[in-house]
Amino acid sequence: MNAQLRRTFYLFVAGFVALVGVLAYWQVYARESLANDPSNSLQSRRVQEVPRGLVLAGDGETELARSEQGENGNYSRVYPEGPVYAGVTGYWSSRYGASGIEIGQNNNLSGNGEPETLDELLNQVSGGPLAGNDIELTLDPELQRLAYDSIANSSTGRGSAVALNPKNGEILSLVSYPSFDPNNIDENFEELAQDPDNPLLNRATQGLYPPGSTFKVITAAAALEAGVQPSDRYTDNGTYETPGYTVYNYRGREYGRQTFEEAFGNSVNTIFAEIGNEDVGAEALAQTATDFGFYDPYEDFPLPIALSFFNPPPEQWDQGNIAQSSFGQQTVSSTVFEMALVAGAVANGGTLMEPRLVREVRSPDGAILDKPTPSARSEIMDEDTASSLNDLMQEAVTQVESGAQIPGVKVAGKTGTAEAPGDQLHSWFISFAPADDPEIAVAVLVENGQEGYKQALPIARRMIEGYLRSQGAISNESPSPPPAPPQNEQTTPNNQPAQPKTDQSTQPKTNDSFQFPFQGQGKSPQNPGQTPGQVPGQVPGQNQGQNPGQVPGQAPQVPGQNSGQAPGQRPPGG
Amino acid sequence: MTQRATLPMTIALLITTLGFATLIFVQEAASPPLIYGAYYAGTMIAVYLGVRLWLPHSDVLLLPIVTLLTGVGLVVIYRLTFAGAEAENLAITQAGWILAGSGILVCVVLFFRDYQKLFAYKYLLAVAAVALVASTFTPLGYEVNGARLWLRVGPATFQPSEFARIALIIFFAGYLAEKRDIWAATSRSFLGIQLPALKYFGPIALVWALSLGLLVFEKDLGSSLLFFAVPLLMLYAATGRIAYVILGTMLFAVGSFVTYLMFDHVQLRVATWLDPWSDPDDAGFQITQSVFNIADGGITGTGLGSGFSQTIPEVQTDFIFSTIASELGLLGATALLLAFLVFVYRGMKIALVADDDASKLLAFGLTAMFAMQTLIIVGGVTKAIPLTGITLPFVSYGGSSVVGNFILTGLLLVVSEKAGKRAAEDESTLYSSREKTA
Repeated sequence: MNAQLRRTFYLFVAGFVALVGVLAYWQVYARESLANDPSNSLQSRRVQEVPRGLVLAGDGETELARSEQGENGNYSRVYPEGPVYAGVTGYWSSRYGASGIEIGQNNNLSGNGEPETLDELLNQVSGGPLAGNDIELTLDPELQRLAYDSIANSSTGRGSAVALNPKNGEILSLVSYPSFDPNNIDENFEELAQDPDNPLLNRATQGLYPPGSTFKVITAAAALEAGVQPSDRYTDNGTYETPGYTVYNYRGREYGRQTFEEAFGNSVNTIFAEIGNEDVGAEALAQTATDFGFYDPYEDFPLPIALSFFNPPPEQWDQGNIAQSSFGQQTVSSTVFEMALVAGAVANGGTLMEPRLVREVRSPDGAILDKPTPSARSEIMDEDTASSLNDLMQEAVTQVESGAQIPGVKVAGKTGTAEAPGDQLHSWFISFAPADDPEIAVAVLVENGQEGYKQALPIARRMIEGYLRSQGAISNESPSPPPAPPQNEQTTPNNQPAQPKTDQSTQPKTNDSFQFPFQGQGKSPQNPGQTPGQVPGQVPGQNQGQNPGQVPGQAPQVPGQNSGQAPGQRPPGG
Repeated sequence: MTQRATLPMTIALLITTLGFATLIFVQEAASPPLIYGAYYAGTMIAVYLGVRLWLPHSDVLLLPIVTLLTGVGLVVIYRLTFAGAEAENLAITQAGWILAGSGILVCVVLFFRDYQKLFAYKYLLAVAAVALVASTFTPLGYEVNGARLWLRVGPATFQPSEFARIALIIFFAGYLAEKRDIWAATSRSFLGIQLPALKYFGPIALVWALSLGLLVFEKDLGSSLLFFAVPLLMLYAATGRIAYVILGTMLFAVGSFVTYLMFDHVQLRVATWLDPWSDPDDAGFQITQSVFNIADGGITGTGLGSGFSQTIPEVQTDFIFSTIASELGLLGATALLLAFLVFVYRGMKIALVADDDASKLLAFGLTAMFAMQTLIIVGGVTKAIPLTGITLPFVSYGGSSVVGNFILTGLLLVVSEKAGKRAAEDESTLYSSREKTA
């Protein structure tokens, strides 16, 4: 009988082994897919029972997000700075999911990651609370507030500003306006999603706009690499002809003989179209843009970044497309974030630093878990080329855009005025300073803010000045003349821009920008009704779309997708 | 036979203490009156010492396992209810059942040391088993969750099938040992399987079918499975004929199919098992929540008190293993399964070294029941097999289950005592004979 007993025992052993196998299947192999099962509410319940980590600004003190325990013992999220940082913090909602840093750094903030310290391991084993880790960001609170207020008070109250330290890639401010208050997202979400101004859209990272003449920095980089010298001479007779498309200068101006340097400062579209076609070529231009970060999703960045891109793609470009690309119109779509990196790369001698938003991750008891170090993302151009480009951008400020000057500081910059429907041009400025030893690079966009110098430039200058002053790079004894307020306070953000005449009078040189002054005079306007560049970008696929709540209800169009397929469909641009 | 287990006893009690300490200090759970902990530890130590005193040759290693399993059960039951209104009650009630079970175990040890006398009453026990199962159809019985498994006698309620199982195993052990030779050597054959004469086959088939049928009608699917599988395994052990197992399994398949067609609740069970995800909020709620919680535990578990398994219906009884897997993780759950396996191993060892067929079959039957019950419920809550509501031995909350398993342990102890004693005598005889020759 003992043989049967033994066999039966082996059968039981096999049964127990099989059970361990089943357990391992659920607890290891299928664990993640089960955790994400829509009918599994354990994660959201855990979220409410455990405090998430703090989010702090770069000063290590300003709390951007914290968890507070309610009377029922569940935690809820509080955002002391509210809308000012909403584009960075995002929101955390049990109904609408999460966005921003809340989701981008969720593993750290939730404490759900693998235990990293002995305390955490002990806590996990003993069942203690796994509080989330704290995150200190790189944002400068003063600069963020200044940028936020400036964009909010701009002529249209729609825009974005991104500032970074070009030497180490730390993002100093990241602003999108209109914004929202993440504190009461649950109550307001539906309304926000319906809002035509799309406050849930992060205009800095997700808004796609034609960069206009700010893109000439990239074209100039490609040109310098192709051997064009700043002193090379070109002649502008007011137009540049390509088959099917004619380039005009802004307001139809004719500049005559210009050096490359002058053409950059004066932002002469025709000469850039010529350089793009004859000196650089489609491939080199697109490659330079790609080196600068076009088509790069910046996957390591904690916020999702929309791809900056060309449409049609460079392989399909004809001469008209190259011309448009050379001065950043129609074919080109980019984010404000990307243009800030462009400025930063030039500032840093041609080396693009990895953009960073998280300075430090700390466990609840203060142990440093992660402290990313600055790293170079790519070497875009050699020092000489970068230095030449730096000079070009300085000259552009000293010779043309004097409004950007700050006494005692060398400022480099480039305006942009990007086409938008009607006459509602997007106002751009990218800049960095001090040009000989850059500490800050910025990109500012004001939607429909008209010429770059009118709205974006003063905001950028105030940001730079404010930041350098706080860093001690400018002494308080030599104050610059108070910057002209970009917009009067009574103008609500949604109003049509009221152009302050003072700006125009103080800014005599209006040659930067793109305009299509001769509406209807262009060759074969095939689709005059189309509106390229109108709506700030799409919400791209990498918007961590675990839940529908993150996608603003309005799906903005992709600028350029309904434009630029055929060169010459628009009236001529300059 | 292992006759000393002081160190394992200490470890088992320390693990239980650690569990309570975790809940009280880390989870800041309100402490149950510590005196209950002292009662529990005192009870287990007293049982251990008593068994060592009265059954000095028995396999006392069973007791640390029982201590570990009941201790883990107490901790988890307490953990599952410490936030609720009836906070302390369930764990304290369970501690009371453990006390009662220990008392009965001591009675078994004291009064059934000569357990072989039980085989003389095997037919009486068979009748008693069937009567117990049938008793829930009397006015004393009542339904819980649609299954009529409970009996109320005065203030006490209990599940008679928990005790009927043991009676039935004693009957089968005694009957099969007596008729073993006849079963092993038979003349008739059916479908190539040799069958014993109806005269011998009759009683066993009758008892088997009767108890099985009753349980099916009571909708107690878990017990039905046990009542089917354990006698079949005992039949195989007694005869060594795998053909009986095959025939039995075929009969079972037919029977299952018929039951499936006859009863809506069986169909629902199977449908829920095959695809619980299609109805996760209603029919599939219990099993999907169980699997979600198990998966949530991962390898190391959420930590005691940090899981969410308290929302699984019946979590403190049938689904207690889900909590353990969730909060102690794959490692903790595997460790617990190993503890069960050690109990099964000791039970099998007792069966192997037992002197006579009836003792072997008794120890084997009890062990097989213990093993099958564990496999069926753990398999059920992990969705490896269709879920049937039975308890996890010693761990689940439930008086009848705890007391029944203490009886089972007591019987294994007395069986092991007999073999151990004979082995000791053999040894001393050998020793003294050697002395003489020297």
